[in-house]
Amino acid sequence: MKRIISLFCLLLACCLLAGCAARAAARRPGTFALGDPSFSAEHEINGIDPHNAYSGWACIRYGIGETLFRYSDRMEVQPWLASGYERLDSNTWRITLRDGVRFTSGRMLDGAAVKECLEHLIRVHDRARADLKIAGIQADGQTVTITTAEPNPALLNNLSDPYGCIIDLQATTADGLVAGTGPYRAVEMLPGQRLELEPNRDYWDGTPQMEHITVRTISDGDTLTMALQAGEIDAAYGLPFLSLPIFQNGGYTISSAATSRVLFVAMNFSSPVLQQQEVRRAVAMGIDKQSFAQVLLGGNGQAAAGPFPAGFAFGGGVAAPEYDPQAACALLEQAGWVDTDGDGIREKDGQQLTLRWLTYPSRQELPLLAESAQATLRQIGIEVSVLSTASHTSLRADPEAWDMYASALVTAPTGDPAYFFSSCCLDGSSANHGGYHSDALEALAGELAATFDTGRRNRLAVQMQQQILDDDAYIFCAHLEMNLVARAGVTGLTAHPCDYYEITAALQVE
Amino acid sequence: MSRRACRVRLRLGVLLVLTALLLLAVVFARQICPFDPYAHDYAAALLPPCPAHPLGTDQFGRDMLARVLVGGQTSIFSALGLVGVLTLTGTAAGLVCGWAGGLWDTLLMRLADLCLAFPGLVAALGIAALANGGSAGAVLALAVIGWPKYARLVRSHTLTLRDSDFVAAAKLAGESPAFVVVRHILPNLAGPVLVTAALDVGTSMMELAGLSFLGLGAQSPAAEWGSMMSGSRSMLQLYPWVLLAPGLAIFLTTALFNLLGDAVRDVLAPEQNTAG
Repeated sequence: MKRIISLFCLLLACCLLAGCAARAAARRPGTFALGDPSFSAEHEINGIDPHNAYSGWACIRYGIGETLFRYSDRMEVQPWLASGYERLDSNTWRITLRDGVRFTSGRMLDGAAVKECLEHLIRVHDRARADLKIAGIQADGQTVTITTAEPNPALLNNLSDPYGCIIDLQATTADGLVAGTGPYRAVEMLPGQRLELEPNRDYWDGTPQMEHITVRTISDGDTLTMALQAGEIDAAYGLPFLSLPIFQNGGYTISSAATSRVLFVAMNFSSPVLQQQEVRRAVAMGIDKQSFAQVLLGGNGQAAAGPFPAGFAFGGGVAAPEYDPQAACALLEQAGWVDTDGDGIREKDGQQLTLRWLTYPSRQELPLLAESAQATLRQIGIEVSVLSTASHTSLRADPEAWDMYASALVTAPTGDPAYFFSSCCLDGSSANHGGYHSDALEALAGELAATFDTGRRNRLAVQMQQQILDDDAYIFCAHLEMNLVARAGVTGLTAHPCDYYEITAALQVE
Repeated sequence: MSRRACRVRLRLGVLLVLTALLLLAVVFARQICPFDPYAHDYAAALLPPCPAHPLGTDQFGRDMLARVLVGGQTSIFSALGLVGVLTLTGTAAGLVCGWAGGLWDTLLMRLADLCLAFPGLVAALGIAALANGGSAGAVLALAVIGWPKYARLVRSHTLTLRDSDFVAAAKLAGESPAFVVVRHILPNLAGPVLVTAALDVGTSMMELAGLSFLGLGAQSPAAEWGSMMSGSRSMLQLYPWVLLAPGLAIFLTTALFNLLGDAVRDVLAPEQNTAG
């Protein structure tokens, strides 16, 4: 018995020592570690070069790059690297740059650097080229004159997109480290794993407080949760909503902001089954968005009707199909889909009504949405096979591989409604994965592109949303809140509605 | 019959009854538990264990008892199916090697060596991924890495039996090779093969649950113990019952099958019980 007690005490001592060791692994003073699932190729963030896919998000989020204009807390555009602007005519804008701003490479920010950067951006970045519609740029000292190929009322909004981070093109290293104007500079990067940052001593807008910052990619929500609990990281972005109650105590602070990030489903118009509008409408009526938002998102989101939250000036006033299983069944029967063999799944011409739902797991809520939709759609006789994979970007490029693609997108990242339509819904949209086309929408988009009046733009945006809802091209399920959870003592880390600004010069760890 | 032999048989009897009860419970899961294991009921989401839901509910409001019982059908019968496949393929291969010898023996044993050359779990992960997941893919993956054990066991016993006096007598009596194998070799192999199979059921269940946990076995929303645990990992701290219910099911069932395997061994091959 004595021996057993001794062994037990030894075991207990080992456990305590291990626990002490884990605590001892906490940060050195002046250092900060952020866990983030989104710094990965799965989110099309391949590094920090803003001219590459969505990598600009990492550039701006981690305090490396800054844009000419930025968004206020109310998503209004305000100068940042620019000190002002003037619209000379419907196609010409003159932007004045702030004096005394230096890139981390040492080069001064001037018109020539901005011209060089933006010209490269529109040469290599399809989405930026389509959004900005830049025909020419002229630089003169601290001013840049941008001429657009056609009237572009959202030019300033789009210049504030993360791809618009102004970097010193001549200083980009072979391993993808860019020199921006932000409070921190990247010193080492392993895309998909980690990013090491050091302060920019010449920062123009304050003094960065941290000596060293590490951004760690932690794709798994549970691992991220436990890393924060164990003190391996000081803060986490994108924690699963289910984990938030763990941190609702004095040891942590949670900063949340309602965003235009929407969980939505794109229909594949090359899928023979989904070419029938009755099926698309039935699917839309077969997803219980309210329960999903209230229960599975734990109240950290709102059921969506359209792409924009109802609180946005251009967000309300649209009607989407309501959850109505009976009406969905009637629609399917009308379209000839009937369960003839009694297995609960409808058939037509010997073919079962089975739809392939493509999504990805790193946005923690998407697999939940898939499972929820799978259950409710089965009740109306639609079998859904879910493929949740990190390889979704290559799979979605093959229209034969899926019927519905569920993803998360910030629909108004520039505070302007045009972005969502130009990115996802038009013939030339780079993210129109389902091949949706509507003559009416194209015409409205043309009108929106030439309209400078904000009220008129908002009304057009509502009409455009209604058009895509009437065509059942997309199902908008829920708008999400974003959250940043930090251990007590971390200040200056605040969630922003645009979901871009995380690490700033104000970040401190006490 | 000695007192020890009586005790061993009694233990086997009790374990067989418990196993039968477990199998009956999972086979008649839908009758035992009134809840549909796949029906979402958001009003009842994440309820802790209570009289209405003895094992609580998950985030979709699904009754955990119903899911554990129905999940047992997949978990237990997949494991039994896997052991069945291993037994049949391994015995067939071992018999061919041991009885026919020559080129067949060389070919099959080198193939077995190849299969054993890879770390088991790594090979299983690769094969299951190639098979695009699913319970069948997981069974196939574990069958590919598991059959050599049975083949080697059967081969070695067959080599011994082939040279035994009663086989020689049967041959002299003019019996055909097929008759000798079926009538004289197979019955003598039954004991060791059955003991090995009984001991493997629990291990197979754990391995299948492991593959499902890693997303390479049964896929959500299928009620299968490994995938249920995988899907509820994030709830361990706040809603532990969602994770513990399938975890305990795996633990208890594996323990039961392992004890049963031991009891079968003690009855059929007591000389293998090194623990005495």
